[in-house]
Amino acid sequence: MSHGGEAVHHGHGGHDEHEAWGTSVWPFVISFGVLALAVAFMLQFVYHKPFAAVIALGLGIPMILGGVAGWVSEAMGRGEGLSYGAMGWFILAEAMIFMSFFAAYWFMRLDVALVWPPAGTVPLPQVLPLVMTAVLVASSLTIHHAEHLMHAGDKRGFVRWLVVTILLGATFLGMSAYEWTHLIHDGFTIATNAFGTIFFSVTGLHGSHVVVGLAIFVAGLVPALMGNISEGFWRTASLYWHFVDIIWFFVVSQVYYW
Amino acid sequence: MLDDKRTVGALLALAAAGPALAEKTIPTAARIIDPAAGWDHLWRDVLIDITVIGIIFALITAYLIWKYRRRPDNQQGSAPRLSAAAAIGWVVIPSFVFMADDFYLAANGWQLWNTFREVPADRLEVQLESGMYSWDYTYPNGVQTQNELKVPAGKPVLLRMTSRDTIHNHYIPDFRVKEDSMPGRITYLWFYPQKPGTHVVTCTEYCGVMHSYMAGQVVVLPPAEYQAWYEAEGAKVKKAAAPAATLSKTPA
Amino acid sequence: MNLKEWIFTTDHKRVGILYLIGSIAAFGVAGIMALLMRAELSAIGPTITADPTTYNVWLYAHGAIMILGFQIPALTGFFANYCVPLMIGAKDVAFPRVNALSVWLFYVGVILALLTFFIPDPPDVMWTGYPPYSTITAGNTALYSLTVLILGFASIIGGVNFLTTVAFMRAPGLGWGKLNVFVWCILGAFVMQLIFVPVLGSAVTLISLDKYLGTHFFDPAMGGDVLTYQNLFWFYSHPAVYVIFLPFIGVVFEIIATFARNPVFNYKAAVYGGIGGIVLISGEVWIHHLYVSGMPDWLRIGQMVSTLLISVPVGLLVISLVGTLYKGAISFETPMLYALGVVFLFLIGGLTGIPLAITSLTVNLSETYYVVGHFHYVMAVAGTFAIFGGVYYWFPKMSGRMYNELWGKIGFWITFVGVNIVFWTMMDIGARIGLPRRYYDYAQFPQAADAQHLMTIGAVILGVGFVIALLNWIIGAAKGPKAGDNPWGSPSLEWTTVSPPPHGNWPSPPSVSEEWSPYAHGKR
Ligand code: HEA
Ligand code: HEA
Ligand code: CUA
Ligand SMILES: [Cu+2]
Repeated sequence: MSHGGEAVHHGHGGHDEHEAWGTSVWPFVISFGVLALAVAFMLQFVYHKPFAAVIALGLGIPMILGGVAGWVSEAMGRGEGLSYGAMGWFILAEAMIFMSFFAAYWFMRLDVALVWPPAGTVPLPQVLPLVMTAVLVASSLTIHHAEHLMHAGDKRGFVRWLVVTILLGATFLGMSAYEWTHLIHDGFTIATNAFGTIFFSVTGLHGSHVVVGLAIFVAGLVPALMGNISEGFWRTASLYWHFVDIIWFFVVSQVYYW
Repeated sequence: MLDDKRTVGALLALAAAGPALAEKTIPTAARIIDPAAGWDHLWRDVLIDITVIGIIFALITAYLIWKYRRRPDNQQGSAPRLSAAAAIGWVVIPSFVFMADDFYLAANGWQLWNTFREVPADRLEVQLESGMYSWDYTYPNGVQTQNELKVPAGKPVLLRMTSRDTIHNHYIPDFRVKEDSMPGRITYLWFYPQKPGTHVVTCTEYCGVMHSYMAGQVVVLPPAEYQAWYEAEGAKVKKAAAPAATLSKTPA
Repeated sequence: MNLKEWIFTTDHKRVGILYLIGSIAAFGVAGIMALLMRAELSAIGPTITADPTTYNVWLYAHGAIMILGFQIPALTGFFANYCVPLMIGAKDVAFPRVNALSVWLFYVGVILALLTFFIPDPPDVMWTGYPPYSTITAGNTALYSLTVLILGFASIIGGVNFLTTVAFMRAPGLGWGKLNVFVWCILGAFVMQLIFVPVLGSAVTLISLDKYLGTHFFDPAMGGDVLTYQNLFWFYSHPAVYVIFLPFIGVVFEIIATFARNPVFNYKAAVYGGIGGIVLISGEVWIHHLYVSGMPDWLRIGQMVSTLLISVPVGLLVISLVGTLYKGAISFETPMLYALGVVFLFLIGGLTGIPLAITSLTVNLSETYYVVGHFHYVMAVAGTFAIFGGVYYWFPKMSGRMYNELWGKIGFWITFVGVNIVFWTMMDIGARIGLPRRYYDYAQFPQAADAQHLMTIGAVILGVGFVIALLNWIIGAAKGPKAGDNPWGSPSLEWTTVSPPPHGNWPSPPSVSEEWSPYAHGKR
């Protein structure tokens, strides 16, 4: 049968001169790294075999890190880096994860709890969270300013404000860690009661996002110091950071001050 | 040919609305509305409704398949282009017909739901604690039974339910009622036993290995016989003063 | 053939075929579980195993693998990958490596699911995994959580990929109004995956946290709530049924348009009203799975109405499907038989969802075999028929060869008879006797014994039909006659390249004219 026709047009070129099939080993490597992690989780927590778990981790983590590194170097400059549009969808998915944790919280608190907070809860600090909020908001402003300088072509200024952002983010994490150690010291842990569960899992989930954001920044900082600044990358990275900031408002208002 | 379609559409509309017009006879004469009877009634109505819809769609499809089978091998389809008005009509009219049926079903369903929830004031109230794998009933006077719920004929029975381990579901097929019982929450159901007899109780929420064996029975007794049993057991409970209650075990 | 080029491939067609192989293997395994279950249920009392846990593990594996390992990957993995870039005239997807990652994560998920049969403490939590049972069982709940998490994640990254691909990589001249209905269905399905899968991921993570790390999300004694899980789970898993439904009905649209040689009837109504409507409503109906768990009335009434209203967009889709036959020139090759089978069987399955949607009728129907019958008709039968029909339909494109028409039809009719014996009987005993689901034994329901026996026979019949289809593909791919590039005479773009298409799909990307549409038959 014919492959053309009037309604569908093709440029002319023989059918046999097709390119070689595209391949990449890295997705395969990363996937099986993930399998090793899953196995490690089960070895540790289900079968209580820490030694075997460590071996599985030792297999999985290098596979994932190596896979990501190989992937990045292979894909570099082929337009497969972080993409702004895809980040939008990704953030939607992330927001749904936070929503699930909050929904769990609202269910316990509004639908079943007779007294809240449940027995065993210690008073939470009231001032520190405010400081943390200020720090995180400041970091959102500084990355915004850095991005502004980047668009204006001021590379040194960009790097300077980027470093400030990273420092602010690290400060936030430090304060969070300080607060956690104190609460745990006072005997309030993730296993104390349902509120402890919510408190540590929600702040922990948020904190892990701060860590990821910082990791992205640091990963980009190295090339940026050498003058290699990709606008698309930074636009996407700062979008993610703003998202992390906005989520924090929910965390603060729901967990500390309600 | 457009007219063709219009007639089909109109027929469809009629057929979908047909069951909707069927008169409602949810019993209101009796003092107590029995949800089981209401269920049977609504089930029959809805079954007619969906069967009619299904048959209409299936017949039209079968007719089109037969009528427009390909004769010469190179024959092409000759569907007319839909005018804008026809395209909109083919959205709006069916949507309204379907919605009419949906709202009719919702209204009736909700009404019946309320009879499932509104418990008559004159009733026998029994506490139920479920566990892996038994139904443990406690009567107002402290009598406890396991896997056997004895009730008098002619009196609504309300179960207030909770669970001590996993989620279970107290299902009495003959009375058309089931509801989960779970730790941390209290749920309820009620039913209206009218004649003496025994009825299966069975668990319909997966609760563990022996889920399918978690069965018991509701024994509906003539009121006098029930009263005698109730008082005799009550006296035993009093005598045994200690909280350890008699368990009248019956083979399930 | 170079094995390395297959395993490490980033080409969308090969990724698609890897998805197909994996999901059909999963179907085989889960189907064998179904046969074991049927054998066990064929009579009252222990029949082939004396241990209820064994049965429960089969049931868990059957449900979880059929949904997460077979249907969702076959529909949003195989069909989306194979067809979407070809249908929109693209050389590949937007992120080919991400695509390869998603297929291998899918394999990892399936491998985890198969571990069920090799570990000493297999999960027995059913595909729904409700706590508190899932947090106190001796079974390995972590395996369940991890399987679901990884398969879900594979699906999310696939979703980001396809939404980007369709948005930015359409052939010149191919406007949104000219996309194949199937492509719209995939878009709708992936939007839902992106919104809802994270909620499922969270839900299953929380049970593992509770069970292994000592948290108290679902522990009422410490202030938690058991119903939270069910709400989160169904918040995803109801939309998930439309993630299955949309692509499979999209496949049926393609087949029916081609074999009736007609354009899709009222395309805009199907796309904007049907698909759009389903995506819009699907997020606010999950309570219909919790009708007998004591949900408050204010949540119940709204969701009952919106569940019933789903019949409006679905009805529009059915009207478009049936309308496409009008004044057609219909022929009845195997793919078309399956597609028409879907229309009839989906009607049965969809309409039997209506009583379940009514909160008071559910009181007697929920958790019985009536529900099992409903979802097997709508998903296991209509969905599987659409998948089989679709594989037959694109078979000449994928392999360049033709399957055997006679055996194709024989396989179809055997399965058609089998499914009706099995699943009609299920609905009947569910509604009439109230036989509960997830029962290893049913001594308290002796009236069900004959029906159960009949269903076991029916299951063997339908299994034979499926095996015939599988053999037909394997033999056809190996030594069927050459098929040509466009055996069905469809104007859709995937048929304008050679069979099987090379890497890059076309020597140079196609562009389409004003008059072209994927359904403009005979206008070439
Ligand atoms: C592909 C999968 C799929 C699809 C498409 C559907 C479609 C529907 N389902 Fe189903 N369902 C499942 C898969 C699916 N379901 C599964 C897997 C379960 C059980 C899970 C478990 O517990 O393990 C389930 C369970 C389930 C329940 C819970 C039962 C219970 O546990 O108590 C309910 C309740 O409302 C329900 C309802 C519906 C409805 C109303 C539709 C509607 O979308 C159907 C709409 C279609 C039609 C109505 C027919 C065509 C329309 C017309 C011809 C127009 C005219 C019609 C009218 C006006 C009525 N389903
Ligand atoms: C898409 C989903 C899907 C599909 C296709 C099926 C297909 C089938 N199902 Fe399944 N089923 C579910 C989804 C599905 N099911 C779900 C979600 C549940 C609920 C689980 C729960 O409660 O948690 C369920 C529950 C369920 C039950 C209820 C058990 C109970 O509640 O106790 C039963 C009982 O008969 C059953 C039977 C069958 C049968 C006979 C088939 C048949 O159609 C199967 C036919 C297939 C074969 C016979 C395989 C043939 C192929 C080969 C043999 C080839 C082998 C090749 C290789 C290995 C490469 N199913
Ligand atoms: Cu108790 Cu099932
Ligand atoms: Cu649903």
